[in-house]
Amino acid sequence: MTNVVPPRVRAGLAVISWPVYVLLYTPLALVAYYSFAPAPLQTGHSFHGYAVLFSDSTVFVALQRSLILAVGSATVSTALGTLLGYGLCRFRNANARGIAANLPSLIIYTPIIMPSLVFGISELIFFNFVHSATGLLAAGLGTMVIAHITFQVPYVALTVFARLAGLDPNLFEASHDLYADGIKSFMFLTIPIVQPAIIGGFLLGITLSIDDFTISFFTSGPGSVTLPIYIYGAIAKKGISPEINALGTLMIAVVIVLALAHFFITRQRERRASLLPS
Amino acid sequence: MSGAAKIIIPEKRAAKTAVQTEARAKSFRLWITAGPGLFWVVLFLLIPSVILLAIGFFTSNDYGSPTMPLTLQPFQQVAGYSLLGWDPGNIIILLRSLEQAGIATVVTALLAYPIVFFIMTRPASVRPLLLLFIILPSWTNQVVRTYAWLELLGPNAPLTWVAHALGIVPPDLGIEPGQFAVTTGLAYNYLPYMIVPLYASAERLDWTLVEAGRDLYAKGFTLFWHTVFPQTVPGLLSGVIFVAIPAFGDYVVPQLLGGDRSLMIGSLIANQFTETPDWPYGAALTIIMLVFTGAGLVAFRVLTRKLGGAGEATI
Amino acid sequence: MRFARAGIWVAAGLLAVGVTAPRVAQAGPTMNLFIWSDYISESIIDGFELECGCSVVETDYESNSEMAAKLSAGGDSQYDVVVPSSYYVPELAAEGLLQPIDHSAITNFGNLFPKFQNPTYDPGDKYSIPYQWGTTGIEYNPKDIPNPGGGWGVLFDPTINPKYPFVIAKGEGRDQIAAACAYLGYGFNCSQESQWLAAAKLIEQTKKRPNFAGFVDETPAEDQEKSGLIAVTMAYNGDIAECYADGSCASLKYYLPKEGSEIWVDTMAIPAHAPHPDLANEFINFILAAHNGADLSTFNEYASPNQASQQYLSGLNGTVLITPTPDQMKNLQFLAPLQGAQYKLFNDIWTSVLQ
Repeated sequence: MTNVVPPRVRAGLAVISWPVYVLLYTPLALVAYYSFAPAPLQTGHSFHGYAVLFSDSTVFVALQRSLILAVGSATVSTALGTLLGYGLCRFRNANARGIAANLPSLIIYTPIIMPSLVFGISELIFFNFVHSATGLLAAGLGTMVIAHITFQVPYVALTVFARLAGLDPNLFEASHDLYADGIKSFMFLTIPIVQPAIIGGFLLGITLSIDDFTISFFTSGPGSVTLPIYIYGAIAKKGISPEINALGTLMIAVVIVLALAHFFITRQRERRASLLPS
Repeated sequence: MSGAAKIIIPEKRAAKTAVQTEARAKSFRLWITAGPGLFWVVLFLLIPSVILLAIGFFTSNDYGSPTMPLTLQPFQQVAGYSLLGWDPGNIIILLRSLEQAGIATVVTALLAYPIVFFIMTRPASVRPLLLLFIILPSWTNQVVRTYAWLELLGPNAPLTWVAHALGIVPPDLGIEPGQFAVTTGLAYNYLPYMIVPLYASAERLDWTLVEAGRDLYAKGFTLFWHTVFPQTVPGLLSGVIFVAIPAFGDYVVPQLLGGDRSLMIGSLIANQFTETPDWPYGAALTIIMLVFTGAGLVAFRVLTRKLGGAGEATI
Repeated sequence: MRFARAGIWVAAGLLAVGVTAPRVAQAGPTMNLFIWSDYISESIIDGFELECGCSVVETDYESNSEMAAKLSAGGDSQYDVVVPSSYYVPELAAEGLLQPIDHSAITNFGNLFPKFQNPTYDPGDKYSIPYQWGTTGIEYNPKDIPNPGGGWGVLFDPTINPKYPFVIAKGEGRDQIAAACAYLGYGFNCSQESQWLAAAKLIEQTKKRPNFAGFVDETPAEDQEKSGLIAVTMAYNGDIAECYADGSCASLKYYLPKEGSEIWVDTMAIPAHAPHPDLANEFINFILAAHNGADLSTFNEYASPNQASQQYLSGLNGTVLITPTPDQMKNLQFLAPLQGAQYKLFNDIWTSVLQ
């Protein structure tokens, strides 16, 4: 395919693209650079920012909360979302038209297109209403988990659906012919096939959760500070201090390392699977 | 005769009921699998949204909380009527936000095409890595990286020296705050959302059409426009939706890089629930914003169906 | 092998969770403190935990309106102590979000300066007890603007600062309209609609100047000034004192505008349905103890309303920056609280300025 594109065009594309790649990482490099800023009243680079960061217990509590929230909500949303995607793919009458048939689409797309601000405020009002009427659902980690599950479910459902929709429907017939009932089919045919999508959906849920600020902000309660809320507060109060730059740099580094590791391991696995010379 | 008829009918009836039972079983399985997920979203998002939107029909008491009587006054406020008479401010804010969505969409699209095809011209083993490098920055905290741009475009930054030398920015001022800074921030944040769907489309490109076009003596841009571009339209449309809708409501970038000199609809709504509380007004504004977003989405679905790009796996 | 990939991710996640040492759960009741971020030191909290045998959960906010929004959305039954600014107290009380302080439990009340024992915004300190107080003024860079003129003109007069970037605070608009009123000659605490409208117009004209660098609140603006992104801004005296103390803004200067400026008080109050009002009152009394008041002011670099603490304060706290002279005090006013229709009108005007 590459011979279809003339060399001059290829050079032109490269000239445009490489600077964009550099610009994509310049702000991140700047954050890393500033994280090594000297301590006040000193010169030269230092780990001062990192020292302050590691001695600050509130950051670690916030990180811990973010992780608990992310893993907890992603687990539930993966379960709900996988079933949802599977059900809509397998059991819905594809020829049906009209409101009732399109309702699931509407329900699934709403959390995706709804701006986080509106989402967060709706949850705030709703939980407040429920709390004042019944005393349940006080604002805090519990309400945050519920809100996070709500915005993750559609993404998982779409991921699983996309994967399943590309499958040969005869596979399900085949398993039925082999006397597998619904549940066995699901466990031994569906799950292994959509396993990448399930894992992808789970990781997507975790990513969305860890990165979320607005919705967490509006549903948080006493002592339920997550990492983005902490960063927002620290920046609003102290501006971008070396400590925040250090935190940002660490987060960037972790993301890059994990993503690269994931990529290379996947490639390794695929190479082995297809018996290509490595 | 009647005996034979009696034999046939029970079979038919049995066949009919078998189909019905099958359909009912399918329906039951649908409810069992898709039910919990849908129920969750309905309970924890759709119902709260309806409550929020309903607040738009209440009066605002002195401290901004909703109270009886029911009224359309918040919508009048949206249209610009306030205690100080009519003011085109809200219309301006709406147009400004639409403009912002438009700029973000156009700029990211213009950047995305060269980059996507650049990736396509690289060896297949490297392509996922190149794509990953585009996506990675979006996994970092948005506030931190927007602040980094603030520094990069400040009055004393190298990029700004270039702007001073070229005379486009007066000395002692920075590129930020300003429209260029905002556009840069928007493009930076939304580029991955345009590139990913476009790349998905480009991956499925049928290059034989390009060969055919070449055989018909088409060259350069004409070749691209008639053979390549139409095939990328589904991806482009998805990208447009993924960029335009969030960019329409975005207020973090204009706030940080634009000096908050221009209010966007997102910050106007946020203010009604924080700085200057007025919940009914905020709810009414939200309804209007959702109307615009919904209209965009409907247009997207219609366009996608018409241009035949559907066929992709979409719910 | 199939699960190795997933395994790595999960392991990474668990490792991160495990590494973050969980806070040791302390026995006893909890006191929920809802306070401005970075406004109280760990040592004071530890001291209180020791004395009351309880554990303190601190949650932070960045603005009065954020705090008020959380309170009206159910927070008034979740937090025990909040720290509103003085002009918010009558509003919160009128909305039914605060409960009266139990003065029988506040044995240290007499430690306060007399003027803080019966302030105009909360007669008799019924709903609030002063926490810290400070001033709002102008912080500028003398290298860019050697002669700011001593008043609010450095922000509003194009001839004083024709080319260097400057900002005006965003927030709820109270300070900004008041500053514009003072510059126009109506006095800092102007209260008539026509004066507000004139002030709003002035700010809108200021917005259009090419070197106006945006609406940025006082504390982040001070940070921008330190980094050289802007040359002048409104600022709180404690913020600049803090950065004098750690040496990061030695070249910047602060003054109180001659047309009049703000003296503000942040107070401690108890939400209406606080879960542990007895602990709340105990905490307030604890802060009023002479030593604790001094520790607080030393940490925050803000002035203490506590007369008994003055003997323990030194350094910057004794300077004119933190404790203005009596002459300067005559020029400083509390922002008047707004209620009802006035509040709504003001919000409408400020929203139209921001547009």
